[in-house]
Amino acid sequence: MIVMIPSLQCGAGPTRGKSARSIMVAALGAVMAFAADARAEDATRWLERAAQAAKTLNYAGTIVYQHNGHVETSRLVHMLEGSQEQEKLVSLDGPPREVIRSSAEVRCYFPDAKVIRIEPKTFRNVFPSLSVEQLRNLSQYYEARTVVSERVAGHWTQVMVFEPKDSLRYGHKFWADANTGLLLKARLVDDHGEVVEQFAFTDVAINEKVDRDMVKPSWAAAPPDWQIKQGSFGEMLPKETGWSASRLPGGFQKIMEGYRTLRGKRDPVAHLVYSDGLVAISVFVEPLSGPSVQTGLAQQGGLNVFTTKQDDYLVTVLGEAPPAAVRQIAQSVARR
Amino acid sequence: MNENISRLMDGEVDAQEFDRICGEMKAPAAMETWVCYHVIGEQLRGAHGVSTRFSTRFCAALAAEPTVLAPSARRARSTQIATAAWAVAATLAAVTVVGWTAFSMVDAPPTAVARAREAATIRAAQAKPMPDLPADYLIAHQEYSPSTAIQGMAPYMRAVVVTGNEPRP
Repeated sequence: MIVMIPSLQCGAGPTRGKSARSIMVAALGAVMAFAADARAEDATRWLERAAQAAKTLNYAGTIVYQHNGHVETSRLVHMLEGSQEQEKLVSLDGPPREVIRSSAEVRCYFPDAKVIRIEPKTFRNVFPSLSVEQLRNLSQYYEARTVVSERVAGHWTQVMVFEPKDSLRYGHKFWADANTGLLLKARLVDDHGEVVEQFAFTDVAINEKVDRDMVKPSWAAAPPDWQIKQGSFGEMLPKETGWSASRLPGGFQKIMEGYRTLRGKRDPVAHLVYSDGLVAISVFVEPLSGPSVQTGLAQQGGLNVFTTKQDDYLVTVLGEAPPAAVRQIAQSVARR
Repeated sequence: MNENISRLMDGEVDAQEFDRICGEMKAPAAMETWVCYHVIGEQLRGAHGVSTRFSTRFCAALAAEPTVLAPSARRARSTQIATAAWAVAATLAAVTVVGWTAFSMVDAPPTAVARAREAATIRAAQAKPMPDLPADYLIAHQEYSPSTAIQGMAPYMRAVVVTGNEPRP
């Protein structure tokens, strides 16, 4: 605004008037960009608070997942004991499947198939505190704002909206508990404004006592006739893979690269993760094995997967991004 | 009588007429007409609430209705009081019914429409089975996604759903 005053005063001649106007436009643009940054910062601070709350609070509730015309209900319990997190997710519809997530591993129980899958947790998932540069990045690709509070599961919430400025990402709406910051509802919206996926607590007790029994698996030991499928071996160390995706949507930066050994794969699989700060897109590259490989697009709620062949390799791209984005990325994966 | 009720509803009666019509409204048929006219009126107007001023005045007038005391029968008196009480109850019930009907007419459509819309927008058209979605990949991805950090464990519901097709060993 300070720039505007002198430029108005000296704007006498036509040329000067024109330059004054352009300065005004530039100044106005800067002010607007600043305002957008401030709004994005406000919304992002709430997300950081939500990420912190998700890790550090004790909570137990019923959560509903809606996608593709399906509705699934689960029970979710989170406990922090000392510095150790323990979480339990039990499906309430259909077979009683369970996911137990601890600091060390993720265990999935499938009593209907008599299978237990164990995945070592190789990465402490921490929502990064975004730097000023990343914030600007976020406000460059999303129109972010906080809107009036609404009630979710009996709690007043702060609502944050991230509207994408291009069609290569989904719109996000988050409802965070006004008192604790815990996220109570999250929705992904496509470019037609239609809901692609939604997670929502229908009831939740926050900061109440959570017993250790509430986060234990329902099976103390695997029954003898169950099969235990062990996931990747050891930690995945970050490493150059020689692969890269050249056509990334704006604002996506590589946050991880390395090899991991996946179940049933003879060779290690290259794994690269790109993120725009709100979502991540994973790129997996592995040598082609066997003749029948299903390629093309698959989708489940807000998660899209595109599989394609690249010479003797199979490229799989998946993430919380629209089909066009995962396809574009998958088709641009090549040796560096 | 029906015309009087209609005029009463339209606010075309003076105070004296108002009292007289209120007296007549004790008849169940009159009450039915009154309720019926209101429901029709609400429908035509696109469902606005009943005038609270009207119901207040109506109830007050009814409560102030003089009770005729006959010297001979305490029984008759109690019957009359009971009749008056029933009338008040009936009036309140009618107001409640109309009020509720009006309320539900105001409230139900937008809520129902919003719910239907929300349900419809969870797009059934996009439903496409993901037979060979690599569950390992999904769980590996999930650990790195900011959405997992923000939402906690909720996104694992995707994994539970996807790996629902876990092949039997």
